Amino acid sequence: MDQTTPHEEWVRGLLEDAVSDVAPEHALDSIRARTSSAPARHGRRGWLWGAGTAVVATAATVAAVVTLTNGPGTPQADHGFASGAASSTARHSDSAQSGAASGSAPASGQSTATAGGSQPSQRTTKAGPVVSTVTVPVYFVGETPHGPKLYRDDQQVPSADAAMTAVHAALAGYSTDPDYTSPWPSTAQVDKVSADGSGITIALQSGGNSLADRPSGMSSDEATLAVQQLVYTAQDALSSKAPVSFTVDGQPASKLLGVDVSGGVDRAPDTSTEALVWVLSPAEGAKVHSPFNVSGLANAFEANVVWELKQNGQVVKQGHTMAHEAFLMSPYSFNVDAPPGDYTLVVHDSDASGQGNVTQDTKDITVLP
Amino acid sequence: MTVTARWDADTAVEELYAAHYRRLVRLAILLVRDPETAEEVVQDSFVAMHGKWRTLKDPDSGLAYLRQTVVNRARSVLRHRGVHSRYVATHRAAPMPAEPGADERALADERRGRVLDAMRELPGRQREVLALRYYLDLSEAEIAETLGISRGAVKSHASRGVAALREQLRDRLGDRLEDL
Repeated sequence: MDQTTPHEEWVRGLLEDAVSDVAPEHALDSIRARTSSAPARHGRRGWLWGAGTAVVATAATVAAVVTLTNGPGTPQADHGFASGAASSTARHSDSAQSGAASGSAPASGQSTATAGGSQPSQRTTKAGPVVSTVTVPVYFVGETPHGPKLYRDDQQVPSADAAMTAVHAALAGYSTDPDYTSPWPSTAQVDKVSADGSGITIALQSGGNSLADRPSGMSSDEATLAVQQLVYTAQDALSSKAPVSFTVDGQPASKLLGVDVSGGVDRAPDTSTEALVWVLSPAEGAKVHSPFNVSGLANAFEANVVWELKQNGQVVKQGHTMAHEAFLMSPYSFNVDAPPGDYTLVVHDSDASGQGNVTQDTKDITVLP
Repeated sequence: MTVTARWDADTAVEELYAAHYRRLVRLAILLVRDPETAEEVVQDSFVAMHGKWRTLKDPDSGLAYLRQTVVNRARSVLRHRGVHSRYVATHRAAPMPAEPGADERALADERRGRVLDAMRELPGRQREVLALRYYLDLSEAEIAETLGISRGAVKSHASRGVAALREQLRDRLGDRLEDL
């Protein structure tokens, strides 16, 4: 863990003390009264964690469990699934062959691995029944020299609820990569994602804020991208290119975040919407064996894709490769050989402008011994 | 490594309540200041988690969801209810017991109040990062995850937050800062 300074220790003591006298009233009954009508039970089952100070230990457990069952990736609140873009090794070097399905190869050595791509698969855990999951692209907003753009984050979701879960993750900003975010107001929720002959409908709940107007501090580019984030995510999860309509709190929406959505929203062209470089595998936080394969999609000048492997801010390896085609999102793939350690992988396009305007995607990864 | 037996949503609420309710309320107080609002935020979060349990499925995701929901709801409560101004107003008005002989307990209460006030004066992100980092002891990566920001941003919010909190307390306590 990170080192602490005396000032940090001082803050720790102050905060602990500041709330040490707080003893909230019993609230379980009132919470129960607001949840389902199931009768209250009093049996206490074995609790895995101690209360209070065990939070750190708990967090470590979370990471370990996720790593074991779902491959690398940090735990995400609120979706109960981990990144499907698990660490890919050289053995999966063909994973960039298909754009939509790339980057979802499971880590090797897992007895309960999930197949990549959009094929439903079965995942078992010791504790529960077989869960059928599917890997879907979830889109988030990241900063680039060309303004905010969409980045793709492949996530493993329960197949029964794939579109809804994916849109929920997109809306709430549950990306596996902390560089990716959601510009949506935190109160917004998704109720339902459905498709019929006339198109796709995303039912949102405003959570009290009007979602019609653009919040202060949000640019119109960001607002447009926020809407596209959901359009891209829902369409991909449903394997459809149909226009997406929205409802808010049960009413058809004509404006969302100041963006006209009346009559349904079409997918905006890739070139104006997507970041020019995506790394789809390995995922953020992945643990890989050397040599490992890096794959993704890039829309690069002369198809030239450049990469660096950095350790403590220093470039320790670098190279370049070609995407299959120039000037449109097309697959690239390369292998990296590196000694064990923690690294940041940086993949970017080349600087055609000479202005230092490169679009990059970064992944913090660990090379295992 | 083991995974707990599957809980249903009701059991999840019960178990997570037993282990974490108080600590989450305390976290929420660091964020919103007002204890009643804090309890409301945490209870709402438990209700929300119950509704989401079908997708959460395990205690670890449940707790992560609770933490994230508490932070998000605290943020939106502050945005919409003006809890801030109400509290700062009452506390600015309260006189500081200056005598060294004052009752120790009153002094402790006063000190706690000043720290909570100082927290409330910080920019939202700094406040959230300080509470998650130094109260819940989450790692930078976990905080990045919870707040949806980069680890670099967590680091810089934390260091700026520590400095800003000292500043705030210096304004409120002057020389007595060093006694804390």
